[in-house]
Amino acid sequence: MGRQVAIVSAGFSEHASKRSDVNIAELVSEAVEDCLKKAPSVSFEDIDAFATGNMPGFEGSNLPELWMADWMGARNKPLMRVTTGGTTGGSVGIAGYYTVTAGLPGIDTVLAIAFEQQSQGDTSVGLANVAYGEVSLLNYLGLTYDQVGRLLSAGAAIGVAAYQATNYMHKTKIVEEDLARVVVQNRRNAAKTWWAHLKMPNLTIEQVLDTPYISFPLRYGMVCPASDGACAVLFTTEEKAKNMCDIPVYVNGVASVAHETAILGYSASGSAQIDPSEQLGAMKTSEICYQQAGISFPRKEIDYAEVYSPFPNQELMWVEKLGLFEETTAPEMYKNGVTALNGELPICCSGGVNSTNAIGASALERPAVAALQIMGKASNQVPKTVHTAIGHGWGGSLNLCTMMVMSDEPQRKWR
Amino acid sequence: MTEKLVVTNKGFVRADFSFWVGLYMDKFYDSFENKKIIGNKCSKCGKVFVPPRKKCGKCNETIPLDNNWVNLPNTGTLLNYTITHYKVSDRAARKAKKPQIIGMVQIDGSDTAIVYRLLNIDIENVKIGMKLKIEWEEKPKGNPADIKGFVQV
Repeated sequence: MGRQVAIVSAGFSEHASKRSDVNIAELVSEAVEDCLKKAPSVSFEDIDAFATGNMPGFEGSNLPELWMADWMGARNKPLMRVTTGGTTGGSVGIAGYYTVTAGLPGIDTVLAIAFEQQSQGDTSVGLANVAYGEVSLLNYLGLTYDQVGRLLSAGAAIGVAAYQATNYMHKTKIVEEDLARVVVQNRRNAAKTWWAHLKMPNLTIEQVLDTPYISFPLRYGMVCPASDGACAVLFTTEEKAKNMCDIPVYVNGVASVAHETAILGYSASGSAQIDPSEQLGAMKTSEICYQQAGISFPRKEIDYAEVYSPFPNQELMWVEKLGLFEETTAPEMYKNGVTALNGELPICCSGGVNSTNAIGASALERPAVAALQIMGKASNQVPKTVHTAIGHGWGGSLNLCTMMVMSDEPQRKWR
Repeated sequence: MTEKLVVTNKGFVRADFSFWVGLYMDKFYDSFENKKIIGNKCSKCGKVFVPPRKKCGKCNETIPLDNNWVNLPNTGTLLNYTITHYKVSDRAARKAKKPQIIGMVQIDGSDTAIVYRLLNIDIENVKIGMKLKIEWEEKPKGNPADIKGFVQV
């Protein structure tokens, strides 16, 4: 059995569409500085190891972590890069967790750093490496990348999400207005988060529905931006955490599950799973996490959730698949304000991926924000006390789900 | 046998990349326009970096953007070098008319080295430790190519 792990701090860089005032290394150092600023007793000497990652092939500079070891404070220290597409951040966080829980001699405190400076690269080329849901299908059929747009979907991840959206809408019998409502909540929340990208405090449903379609039912006003940004999370042992911060956030469950059915359903799926909004991988991820954390009734026991939703339909889908709401009831919850900042179960009060998407960092920002909500240090802090929260990631070749369950109590009930 | 059965289907993906150098390097290249070399200094260990950087990797100290700048001379010392008989920055790998020397030069007053071509120096005469001077382009544009190379003092 591994050691209990705790998060003591989390930091962000400012996110924007073009952070041309910094290079990648300087962007990363901003997040590291912000993370250490929130835990004043921690200095670089206290950090024993590093986990880092960004999207493979983005920014046009391979192995950027080797370039920026000095900027992260990782000089002469163990450093590991993890890169799993959209879930990179989640995997980096889990790598940080594993490194601490393993109990290696001399390694107690680990800084996990994820970043992306999308404005530098050609995102579509980067996505061609990992995130086209159809890549496995293309390989199977022997087709080339330049035919992907014509053949199956428009615009990389949006094309895939569109199928999820239509399936989900059909099942739940919702209309576009319900999708727009999620966007409005996110962008208004983002306006109160200092590091967020798309801040729209006065956005209305009508304004969202007034933008053109990219791929039905997803409109321009509904999809995530491409951001430049970085995030850093500090993991340490239960014992050390008590001296590093006021409220340590204990990581009580982690999981990373790949499921083929998350890949655009029809022909690539060996199990003949044809509903891309089914998301059995997400269900399995949450099941493993809740089991580890001893959570039997997620809807009751979880106080806050950050899910990875570049597109509004996904937010509705994830909160159901992760066990927070009954199937097909999520749209109703958004309508009734259950998921709002002052609601019963606030969701994505940072504005979520829908408002800020520095891809490699996004899946680490989810547990980071959730941890800060428990500490009471989040930028857009929920008024109620948060005891247990989840941070979720989605990506890989669209088949991977990462998740982290955090709590202010270290006890694992199943021990 | 099987190779003959393989159908090759060629596709092309265009990749455009642009790189942000950040405000520190911006300032560095701006000074090129006036044919000047600047570096910045870590306030803890006192090391002077050319090109400048935000973080001292040794001390983990952030060097502020507004101060700690050091004006440096156009002269430096050759730390080491290599000689190539092929054209530099030519993918065709064509033989050059004259062998070219590329060297690591430590600008006087700095603690780091930059890599540039050595101009008008015969390969028999190149020597580690020799004193060098920057040869600027006549009309500098504020980019790395403003330094043509280094010549012997």
